Amino acid sequence: MSSSAGKEKLITDEEEVLQAVILADSFNKRFKPLTTHKPRCLLPICNTPLLDWTFESLALAGVQEIFVICRSHAELVKAAIKNSKWSKPGTGLKIVPIVTAKETFTPGDAMRDIYTHGIITSDFVLVTGDLVSNIRIGEVVRQHKERRKTDKDAMMTMVVKQSGVNHRTRSKGDSAVFVLDPETSQCLHYEAVTGYPPKKYARIPREILNEHPEVDIRNDLIDCSIDICSVEVPSLFQDNFDYGDIRRDFVHGVLTSDLLMKNIYCYIAKEGYAARVKDTRSFDSISKDILSRWTFPLVPDDNHPGGHSYEHLRGNKYIAKDNSVMLSRTCKIGNNTLIGSKSQIADNAQVTASVLGQRCTVGAGSIVRNSYLFDGVVIGPNCVVEHSIIGSGVQIKERTRVERGCLIADGVVVGPHARLAPFSRLSKRRSDGDEDDEDDDDDPEQADEEDEEGNESDDGDDEDEDEDEVDSELEEVEANQDAEALAKLGSDTNAIIWPPPTVNEDEEVDELEHPDNQRLMRIGDDASDLVLSDAGSVTSSESESESDSDSDGERFQGSNPSSSTTSLLLSTPSNLVAQADSAATSEFQQEVKQSLDRAFAEGHSVDNAAVELKTLRMASNVSLRLVRDAVIAGIVSRIKIVEDGAISQRKEIASMIARWGGLIDKIGGVDPVETVELLQEHCASSDRLPLFGQILAALYQDDIVDEDDIRAWHAKPESQGEGVKLTSLQENYKKCWVTGAHMIKQFDEQDSDEESEEESEADADDDDDDDGDGESGTGNPAVKPLEKELNPSKDASSSEEDSSEETSNEGDEYSTGEDGSEQDDLP
Amino acid sequence: MATDTSSIPNQRVVETLASRLRRRQVVGSHETALETVLVLRQVISKARFSNIDQLVEIIRSVGRKLVEAQPKEHTVGNTVRKVLHHIREEYHTASQGTAVVSTSSNTLSIARFVLQGQPRKQNVPQKGTLGESHGTLKENNPDDPDAFARTLKPVLMEAIQDVLDELETVYDNISKNAKDHIHSDEIILTIGKSSTVEAFLKAAAAYRKYTVIIADTAPSYSGHDMAQSLSSAGISTVLVPDSSIYALMSRINKVIIGAHAILANGGMFAITGSLLAATAARAHSTPVVVCAGQFKLTPQWNLYHEYGALDFADPSSVLGFEEGNLVDKVDVVNPYYDFVRPELIDAFITNDGDHPPSSVYRLIKEAYDDEDYEL
Repeated sequence: MSSSAGKEKLITDEEEVLQAVILADSFNKRFKPLTTHKPRCLLPICNTPLLDWTFESLALAGVQEIFVICRSHAELVKAAIKNSKWSKPGTGLKIVPIVTAKETFTPGDAMRDIYTHGIITSDFVLVTGDLVSNIRIGEVVRQHKERRKTDKDAMMTMVVKQSGVNHRTRSKGDSAVFVLDPETSQCLHYEAVTGYPPKKYARIPREILNEHPEVDIRNDLIDCSIDICSVEVPSLFQDNFDYGDIRRDFVHGVLTSDLLMKNIYCYIAKEGYAARVKDTRSFDSISKDILSRWTFPLVPDDNHPGGHSYEHLRGNKYIAKDNSVMLSRTCKIGNNTLIGSKSQIADNAQVTASVLGQRCTVGAGSIVRNSYLFDGVVIGPNCVVEHSIIGSGVQIKERTRVERGCLIADGVVVGPHARLAPFSRLSKRRSDGDEDDEDDDDDPEQADEEDEEGNESDDGDDEDEDEDEVDSELEEVEANQDAEALAKLGSDTNAIIWPPPTVNEDEEVDELEHPDNQRLMRIGDDASDLVLSDAGSVTSSESESESDSDSDGERFQGSNPSSSTTSLLLSTPSNLVAQADSAATSEFQQEVKQSLDRAFAEGHSVDNAAVELKTLRMASNVSLRLVRDAVIAGIVSRIKIVEDGAISQRKEIASMIARWGGLIDKIGGVDPVETVELLQEHCASSDRLPLFGQILAALYQDDIVDEDDIRAWHAKPESQGEGVKLTSLQENYKKCWVTGAHMIKQFDEQDSDEESEEESEADADDDDDDDGDGESGTGNPAVKPLEKELNPSKDASSSEEDSSEETSNEGDEYSTGEDGSEQDDLP
Repeated sequence: MATDTSSIPNQRVVETLASRLRRRQVVGSHETALETVLVLRQVISKARFSNIDQLVEIIRSVGRKLVEAQPKEHTVGNTVRKVLHHIREEYHTASQGTAVVSTSSNTLSIARFVLQGQPRKQNVPQKGTLGESHGTLKENNPDDPDAFARTLKPVLMEAIQDVLDELETVYDNISKNAKDHIHSDEIILTIGKSSTVEAFLKAAAAYRKYTVIIADTAPSYSGHDMAQSLSSAGISTVLVPDSSIYALMSRINKVIIGAHAILANGGMFAITGSLLAATAARAHSTPVVVCAGQFKLTPQWNLYHEYGALDFADPSSVLGFEEGNLVDKVDVVNPYYDFVRPELIDAFITNDGDHPPSSVYRLIKEAYDDEDYEL
């Protein structure tokens, strides 16, 4: 045996081992209070911990080595792995639990941890610890590797599954719009969508439409959270310390960044099933999917990951096979039901579309509908349990009614004759000793604790918490009990009621975790009131929010966007993403301005300034245009307006451009047409309008823009001020455009009499001198040749368009210059 | 090398096959049978045993493990039984030499006649006395515990090779009689894609000119592949929807279908739609012929037509997952197999000759040992 084992090891060493990383922490608290004492990945779904389903999914996919990243309750996870069938030899799986620091608050932190551990040696599969899948990931990995051969930048393949928009397994609260190239299935753009407030727009960068003749915009995909990642993915997380969420930050960041130049692909799974237990609602729908066999062969009667065996009966009923289930002759078992071993169902009880764990008891005449009972739940006679998740060992005494959406944590006793409000969350009161301690000090610390709680949910949003954190949280919940509500839970109860999720006044809540959005992810919550109420209000204020999204952004920047929850959001349903964007933009502009100020004041080299700008851009993740915009604005505003003469003015411009013009092209991309556009924009909207021609000329001199670019700019309709609302501004645009037109005319003429140019060169010098002296004194020799070229065209168009000349001195200046050049060219 | 018998089923090869079976990465009766034989060969070649009971126990434990992993693939158990049967036979010839011959040539009596159903049972008690006294085979030799295994192993390997050969030649052996079953200008109906039927029809095509009508066999639509394969072999082929089976039945001379497993009562599990075809055939008194290898003979019954005995696949081939609105509201049942009752079947064509359903029990008795029915 030993020799053969050695041989097997050799073989696996030679072939490439497929690695997988499981993020066993959920990084949110949607299952509270079920998850106060165990992590989400150990919650049973169809009587087997989620982690086992994940392992089975990966084993099915041919993964050989699995790293489990656990954070909270790490010992529990480790013990679970150790005791599971997976740790036995012969399964072909090598599972390594890795405990990360408590400070790991996001998946991004976990990825950075993976990077520092250096465990990844090749392409790997990244999944979460709550995955249920039967997709042959091996095939996806093969495709990924194939693609890597031709495209070195293909960094990641996301597995998505096509479903309808209204599919029960597709989370309404947390989905996304994918923009894909149908040919290559490259993911071009990713935009997260939250269910509430409903998102009406997806912004797709124009470049995508330019570059790809055909794009698919999909809003019907279930994100399975199965990613085939290349080795560099963890290192990218390491480089970008602000990446938190894998989708919202990482994928979105990579796709919108034009520095990284990495590509992400999607694999749209045609066959197979994959979904994540993200929240209680998906817990419900995935349980149902398993029971109605979508996950085949991962079904209870066939390949149950927990190793239980169930008998499959007509109507997708699964009864434990070991003959230990006691079903009364008069009980009714409905469709899509799973009953664990040693469970008992008494007379006239009804169990429909539910999952019963092992050793559960349902009393006579009770009704259990659409509910999930973990192991050892005892339901007394004549109870009703609907659409709820009941933790292990819970006792529900007679004539208790558990309404939809309740979450009852392990060990709670409720009843008798209790009536639970819909969506109530109960957990067990801690032992009496603890309680006394806490009673002593509860009042003064009350406020502090509340704050603590607020902060914590703000940054961590973690359901799998530290023991201390849990305790403090429990303490707080316990301290805030409403005696009246407690009294309704029956005389024998040991439960405390968790408050419904609310938003603290001064606490910023992530849109995704907002209680209203979370309602869409809650078991049994149809959220009909939410969706209906906002549908109308959004359409009515759509146009408004479109036009002044910028000002909205300003307004929201400082204030709390969700202080008064629903009502505020309803009244200003502006696009939150746009808000965030514009907020980030203005912040970025501030920063750039400061950094340029420093650069100018302290005389940095162009290269240094460029590096600084690049980092800034990456940090705030804005488009290149914005940077260019900021740089040009900085340069233009720094050119002093010299009152006393054009010579000094020109000198000023030339020296400025000579010193800093290079920066425009060093910020990460060269797009001279855009440069001209932005220059126009800035000149038109400031008092530096007269300088436009000169700056452009200076830019041309320094080879920052060339002739073709000016022509291209000139050909654009926007350059004439089209689409600009304010008439005065439009006029200014027009002026600039006219100046450009002059320049182009001159280029044309230059082309036409290229031969004659050389001879006239000599005269030109003289003339120029003359001009300079004659009109306003063009002193700068560097500008001279262009000035000369520029003038004739000016002449031509100035006769057509008088308006431009009348208003600006520049026009005057040029028109006087014309005389000189006229003389030049006429002969 | 593992000495402990209980650890054998946990060996890597066994575990791997078990999980592949469980995950449906090995499907189809022929393929699973082949894989099982290969695993058994590996197990036996590595195993240590000093008497026949240990060896049998090892194989049975492996068999139990594999059957438990996938009870719906009946051929796994059948193959294990077959191997056990062969091993016992080899052992008896090795240990007794001519003894078997002498006992089996006993005079006929009513008592013997009853017992003839289990001829080997009768021999076993004699083995104990005879086996140790003469012959080279020594069990439980305390000086050299491996001696038994050493002498027996080459013979065992041969026995397993026999099973393997049988599996590999099964299609040829079944189809060698094809021309006796299909006559010129007949119209044959078949359903699904059974490799056995495919080989059978192709073999017949070498001698006869006939037409095959193939039902497209929703929801797997394996009939399409079948039609492609047959028409490329030059057989005149018609592909029809399942719904027209009954309408066409009056024109059909014979229904030839494959089986997933043949049960002891002469009924069988076959691909969904077979029951439809067989019932339609019964209504028109059209003969139904089943082509199947002997390895599909299963010493089990489905007398009560247990629902769970069938295999239910995922609903996605019936109702697309993308039909999000419906998924919640519709319960889809997608059985993979039909149970066809024995009275609907006229004949089984096996690699061991042609048999009516009523004599399947007899074939099973010959193929396996009684004590292995429950592994």
